[in-house]
Amino acid sequence: MDIAKLHNLAISGTGFIFDPVTGNSFNTNETGLFIINHLKSGEPVSRLTSTLVEEYDVSAETAEQDILQMIETLRSHYLI
Amino acid sequence: MAYTVAISGINAIDNPGPGTGIAKSLKESLLDVRTIGLAYDAMEPGIYMDWVIDKSYILPYPSGDVESYITRLLDIHAIEHIDVIISALDSELPVFMKIESELARHGIRIMVPSRQSFRDRSKDKLSELAPKIGLKYPSTMAVTRVSELDKAADEYGFPLMIKGPFYEAFKVNSKEEAEKQFHTLAAKWGFPILAQKVINGEEYNLVGLGDGEGNDLGHLAIKKMVITKLGKVWTNVSIRNERIFEACRKFLELSKWRGGFELELMLEPEENELYLIEVNPRFPAWVYMATGCGINLPERMVRHLLNQTCNTHSSYDAGRIMVRYTDELISNIKAFERLTTYGES
Repeated sequence: MDIAKLHNLAISGTGFIFDPVTGNSFNTNETGLFIINHLKSGEPVSRLTSTLVEEYDVSAETAEQDILQMIETLRSHYLI
Repeated sequence: MAYTVAISGINAIDNPGPGTGIAKSLKESLLDVRTIGLAYDAMEPGIYMDWVIDKSYILPYPSGDVESYITRLLDIHAIEHIDVIISALDSELPVFMKIESELARHGIRIMVPSRQSFRDRSKDKLSELAPKIGLKYPSTMAVTRVSELDKAADEYGFPLMIKGPFYEAFKVNSKEEAEKQFHTLAAKWGFPILAQKVINGEEYNLVGLGDGEGNDLGHLAIKKMVITKLGKVWTNVSIRNERIFEACRKFLELSKWRGGFELELMLEPEENELYLIEVNPRFPAWVYMATGCGINLPERMVRHLLNQTCNTHSSYDAGRIMVRYTDELISNIKAFERLTTYGES
C-alpha cells in the first residue's frame, strides 16, 4: 500500500482531513484519526488490528471492520 | 504618487467579469490608485460600486469600428490621464493587441499577449498545446455539419460537450439537444463547432501572470467547490499541486505569455490524469481569491508596467476558501441618467 499521499494531509484534531494537493476533504472520528496516524507512521495493516484492540479495548472483528472502512475511505479519495 | 488604472469587465453579474475583483485588489494594495471603470452597459454593477470604482465611462463595443473605440478611449484619457489599462474581457483583447502601440504613444500602458501566443491557446489549438505542457486533452472533433455531429455523438456518447469556436459551451444529453446547441452556437459564433468527450472528474483552475519573456510573475491554483448553473465558480479552495504548477511553468516558457491568464483543468481521478480544458487570455472573475491569499496579481501587473519592483513569489497556503455571495446596493436614478445621457458616471 502506497501511503506517500498521507504525508501531505492536513489532519485536524477534530477529525477534519484536508488534502492540500487536490482540495478534497472529509471528516472522520477518533478511531479514524488513530488509524490514519498509525498508517502514516508506517505501521503495517497486519499489526494495526492488535494496536487498535489494545488502545480501544474492542474485539478484533470490530477493529478490523474499522480499519477496512478507513482504508476504503482513503481509497475513495485516491489517497492510497 | 497616484496612478490611474482603467479596468474593463466590471459586469459583476451571475456570469461575472473580473473587473471588480481587479479593482478591489488594487484598492487593497500599497499603490495609490484611482480606478476607472470601462463599461459597455449602464447597468454593469461595477459602475455603482463607488468604493472600488471611482468613475466609470461607457465604451462602444469592441466588435465595432476600431477607430471609434480608440477615439473614445483617448477622450477618456484626456480627462483622466490613464496610466494603465487592465483589459478583462476576451472580446476586447484582439482590439487591444492591435492598438497597444498607439496607446503607448499616448502614455497608456497595457499588458496583452502577442498575437502568436493568443492564437496558440485558441480552442482549436489546445490539442497541440496540452501535451507540450504535460497535460492531456479530451478527444474532440471539429464539426461543420449535423452528420459529423452525429458521428461524434456515436463515438463519444452522452453527455457530450458542444463548444463554440471562441466562446460558450453546453453539456448535452441527446442528439436532439446536441443539434439544437450546434445551430445556436453556429449562428452566434460561426464554425467549426467542437464536439468534445466529457471528462468526469474534479475541476481545477490556475490564475497566473506572465511577463512576456517566459517568466512567472505569480500564480495560484484552486479546486472548484461549488459552481453555478452557468458553470461559474461560486466557492473554491486554494490548493498546492506541483503537477498544475509545472503545467503553468511550461505554459509560460512555451508561450512567453504576457499578461493575466487562467488555466482550466480537469482531474480524472481513476487514471489520475490532468486534462487541459481551456486557457483564458485574461484574469478570471475569481482573481481576488489570489489577492486574498497574498498574491496580488493586478498590483503586480500595474507595478510591472510602471517598471517598479514587484513580488513574483507564489508562496501561499492551501486551504483558504473563497465564498462568493449576493448583495444589493442602493443608488440614485441620477447616476443612471448621467450614464445614459453623457456616457459617464
